[in-house]
Amino acid sequence: MVPLILDFVACARAGGLRISTGEVLDCLTQARWIDPLDESQFYALLRANMAKSRLAQERFDRIYRLYFHELRRQIDDPSVSITAQTEEIGAEVRGMDPGEPVSGAVADFLEGDPAAYLRLLRGIDSEGDSQRLGPGANLGALVRRLPVLRALDRAAAVVEDYLATRRRALHWETRREIDGHLRQRLASARRLLTEGERLGVAPQINRERSSERLDALGERAFAGLSPAEVDQMRQVIARLVRKLKDTIGLRYAARSRGLLDVKKTLRRAARYQGVPLELRRRRRPPRKGRVMVLCDLSGSVWSAARFMLNMLYALQDCFDRVRSFVFVAGLVEVTDLFDHNDIQRAIGKVLTETDLAYGAATDYGLTLRQFRSAYLDAVNKKTTVIIIGDGRSNYGNPEEGIVAEIRDRCRRLIWLNPESEAFWYTGDSEMRTYMPLCNEVRPCQNLNQLSDFIRELVL
Amino acid sequence: MKGFGSVEDTRRALEKAGYICTPQIATVLFLAAATDKPLLVEGPAGVGKTELAKAAAESLGRPMIRLQCYEGLDEAKALYEWEYAKQLLYTQIVKEKVRELIGSAGSLSEAVARIAAEESAFFSERFMLARPLLKAITAVDPVVLLIDEVDKSDPEFEAFLLELLSDFQVTIPELGTRRAATIPLVVLTSNSFRDMSDALKRRCLHLYIDYPPPDQELAIVRGKVPGLDQALARHMVDAMGRIRGLDLKKKPSISETLDWARALIALQLDTLSPQVVETTLGVICKHREDARQVAQASAKVAGSP
Repeated sequence: MVPLILDFVACARAGGLRISTGEVLDCLTQARWIDPLDESQFYALLRANMAKSRLAQERFDRIYRLYFHELRRQIDDPSVSITAQTEEIGAEVRGMDPGEPVSGAVADFLEGDPAAYLRLLRGIDSEGDSQRLGPGANLGALVRRLPVLRALDRAAAVVEDYLATRRRALHWETRREIDGHLRQRLASARRLLTEGERLGVAPQINRERSSERLDALGERAFAGLSPAEVDQMRQVIARLVRKLKDTIGLRYAARSRGLLDVKKTLRRAARYQGVPLELRRRRRPPRKGRVMVLCDLSGSVWSAARFMLNMLYALQDCFDRVRSFVFVAGLVEVTDLFDHNDIQRAIGKVLTETDLAYGAATDYGLTLRQFRSAYLDAVNKKTTVIIIGDGRSNYGNPEEGIVAEIRDRCRRLIWLNPESEAFWYTGDSEMRTYMPLCNEVRPCQNLNQLSDFIRELVL
Repeated sequence: MKGFGSVEDTRRALEKAGYICTPQIATVLFLAAATDKPLLVEGPAGVGKTELAKAAAESLGRPMIRLQCYEGLDEAKALYEWEYAKQLLYTQIVKEKVRELIGSAGSLSEAVARIAAEESAFFSERFMLARPLLKAITAVDPVVLLIDEVDKSDPEFEAFLLELLSDFQVTIPELGTRRAATIPLVVLTSNSFRDMSDALKRRCLHLYIDYPPPDQELAIVRGKVPGLDQALARHMVDAMGRIRGLDLKKKPSISETLDWARALIALQLDTLSPQVVETTLGVICKHREDARQVAQASAKVAGSP
């Protein structure tokens, strides 16, 4: 049984399960306690040791079914041996284009060793197509599967060919056995290939190879994301947010070890005849900032702004209050939308339910004037004001005076620009005017820049 | 005799303790008991993770020690604490003795040295308040240690558990390392509120308990709520399956099924109609949104009688 389990482990590792040597050892020592002929026990033993998360379990089940059920058919009929023939066919498949890993893996699979094939599939699933842009970017997964599909088809042809040319040499029972056997293996290979697609490989990647994934997504410009990537982006953001919250929690925990609360300590000491045995620390509620966000709603800016809003509202309990405004030519407060709706829905509603003239030319001057008359009172020394925009005001009056006024009233004024820096000073961009007035100006084109910013803002 | 005799034994013993389970659950529990490995049980709320530990304790005839985890749980509450008040009280009582002890001392340092020699009198187990983990470690007879909702605890506490789970020993600075006299059967439960670290998972056997298949759920209902009519129980379990199929925030689990069964008995109902589903909604759904959704689909949920 030991070689069998070890072989299965090798195969499961190739399929992307992370199994440590310690776990394999545990599994082997525990194996003597169970009845290996009772499958439910054997299965429970392997699963309890090797698949320790929900996602790993799905994967484990798939590989288990493949390894112990689909690839073990020949045991049924021991009278006919087809090992030699299978190997011959395998060699032929491998010989189709020598050195090519795909056909090698398929040949191995036909011979009953799925490790190489599983590794191949895993490579395909996790590769990601983040480098390609434009039409067809979402075809990547299909394109990468194509060589495997072709190799499988060719292998099927080889099998047929082999059987046809040896009509005389082989007994019909053997032929039937080979045919059924290999056909089934090819079918399971094909199913694995397509199942990977359906089973939502994306979340698996997000969990286990998140760092790689994040790097790839992190450098992508917000403006060029496909809908699927937007979805992935959301998951990445959700994880980032959780991590940030953990960090913040730790920071506050560390702080509560800080100042001594004399009053409470003395009161405690009364219980011990005035000896201050238990020290009490002052648990000061950490200072939370207020945030006001002004988002430009025009095309390219909005694609960045919605992720920004997504993160800000997910972190809302780290702030005292988040107020948000959107503008094109004129300003509308959308805080209510976010208060009463789930984040995703609110972001959708911003576009449909606010009465903004989307067609109008962006006018920063008008926006700022409206902000001053209606909301400037709400800006105080606790407030961080964030403006997300490209600063393209269509040659209108930039009203830089108001920006200076806001800066003087608030704690910090930050300007995020989703355009790449090279274009900041071209055309109708007023960045040169606004830049010296802000406490901070930073580009915000992709997730890495955005998450860096948020981290600094919160911590 | 350690643990259970065999897998089949385990299943039967659990059943006797009122816990009906799949062969997988029995196998993994059996292995955990046989090889002294901690068992990490995950699954949705209310599928009987804690019950499993209780049933294991009952069927093994061991006492159960329970540690409920929460955010901010620290070693002082989980492991041990010095009983300052008692120490102080004793110091007051033995004041005379202390004075006697240092009375003849020539210098201050000699007095300190004399008191230091008696230090163990004050930092001894007498003044230690054992918390669940220490109790489990020092117990003379083997126990079942249930660390409930370990996912709610802080990462620091999880790291602290590692020493306990791999070596079954804890270190108390004043007294040294305490090794377990008998190795307890440790059951950790988690709702996947937070992913446990790989280091912790590696040390544990992992068991995922899902919503039970209908037949098993029926057996559980019949075992726990014996007064329920067989046909009604069947009908109810089927309806529960359909409710779980809806897109709910919190899917009802076995504990809700049992509550529902008890509610139906209390109301003396013997059929399940859409009206019954609607009136007993509060037992099944704990969110207003969910309740609304089930109420809308009540006809479908109740199905044909």
